[in-house]
Amino acid sequence: MSFLKNFFSREVLIYSKKSSNVISPVIFFLICITFFPLAVSNDPNELSKLAPGLIWICILLAGMLSIQTIFKEDYDDGSLDLFYVRGFSMLEVVLVKIFVNWIFTALPLILLSCSMVFLLYFPVDKLFNLIGSLFLGTLIISFFGALAGALSLGKNSILASAIMLPLSLPVLILGSSASTYSNENITFFILLLSALLFFSVPIISLACVGAIRLHYE
Amino acid sequence: MNKLLDAIKVFYHKLGSYPWFYSISSKLLPIASILAFLFFVIGIIWGIFYSPSDAIQGDIYRIIYMHVPAASVAQSIYFALAIAGFVYVVWKMKMAGLFIKAMAPIGASFTLLALVSGAIWGQPTWGTWWVWDARLTSTLVLLLFYLAIIGLYSSFDNKKSADQAVSILAMVGAINLPIIKKSVDWWNTLHQPSSIRVFEESTISSEMLFPLLVCILAFYLIVFVFGLMAMRAEIATREMNKDWFKKIVINND
Repeated sequence: MSFLKNFFSREVLIYSKKSSNVISPVIFFLICITFFPLAVSNDPNELSKLAPGLIWICILLAGMLSIQTIFKEDYDDGSLDLFYVRGFSMLEVVLVKIFVNWIFTALPLILLSCSMVFLLYFPVDKLFNLIGSLFLGTLIISFFGALAGALSLGKNSILASAIMLPLSLPVLILGSSASTYSNENITFFILLLSALLFFSVPIISLACVGAIRLHYE
Repeated sequence: MNKLLDAIKVFYHKLGSYPWFYSISSKLLPIASILAFLFFVIGIIWGIFYSPSDAIQGDIYRIIYMHVPAASVAQSIYFALAIAGFVYVVWKMKMAGLFIKAMAPIGASFTLLALVSGAIWGQPTWGTWWVWDARLTSTLVLLLFYLAIIGLYSSFDNKKSADQAVSILAMVGAINLPIIKKSVDWWNTLHQPSSIRVFEESTISSEMLFPLLVCILAFYLIVFVFGLMAMRAEIATREMNKDWFKKIVINND
């Protein structure tokens, strides 16, 4: 337990010291969202129709930026080697890393997407649906992203995205549907998203451990 | 029963050896190629010239003899990749990793063939090259998975790590594919009622079904031949400095 706690505080310290990891997804998200009305249309009706899909796509693309940071720096400076050699439980390392990464890169985006009520005329009555589905969905995306990042450690970043984005397709579909449809259907999608989360947590984190291990064989 | 199990065990262990596979595949290859060629020619000629034309679609439907086998093969290869990935991760059988490396480009090309032939079929019958139908979308995603596997493999210098990495990806992808298929179905049915039924199994007449089955069999044989050839090529690149391989090359000359 003390290892988990120490490791958690270490990770939090790293993220709070290096603010670029936190800020760059936010900037990217804002730029993406800003450009959509400029490129597509500034008609409020049309934008409010497109808003859930746009928000979800931008979140997913911003996730591409943040998955780079989950394992890469520790791999480059050799701390990951040390964790591995010292015989720490890699499962705990992976879980803590994913969770802290989610706190620092996904949570700001979720908070920021509340402002889409103004920017993209997102319907206010569906805001809770959006936030709920984003909470679940970004967690799942973080897990897929961690797997993609772990598989492509030391490789180019396009590869990680090419692995992560197809895997995240169900999240995109379920999440944007949850924020589009009326309130009767919302529980259906939220339940499916939570099922996907509980399904992917054990499988993907184990796959992550395997993926990290293969770099040390 | 025990004897059968033992035989399977022995076969499995033999399968893990490169020299054994190389020699047995060189015997299998000519027979399989002839069979594949025969079935392909018979199926295609039967389908194009001797099966009745469709009541609604006319002769355009005959692309089914390319489209359906390609789509079926594309999905089966991915399934096989996932099984091979499992075998590699659990038992570290090197042949399984090699299998994934060899089959992924073949699977990707058949997926592409299914998509392209579907588009050519869709243009005259539906009036459009592409619809965001559930089945089409999941095939497109299948292609993306194949490309991800190929890309991931090619990014590693060390063959062993590459095998391990693509095995993990193939397994996770196989777990994810049914979820994708299901979610695409929900997305599709909620957005628009699925107006297009590509083909219903019950409505196809036996005169069309038999050449189709021959074609499907032919495509599986073709994949078998291509797979053997690709695996042999991969064995050759991995083992070209080994003594057993040099011996074979010298003996052949």
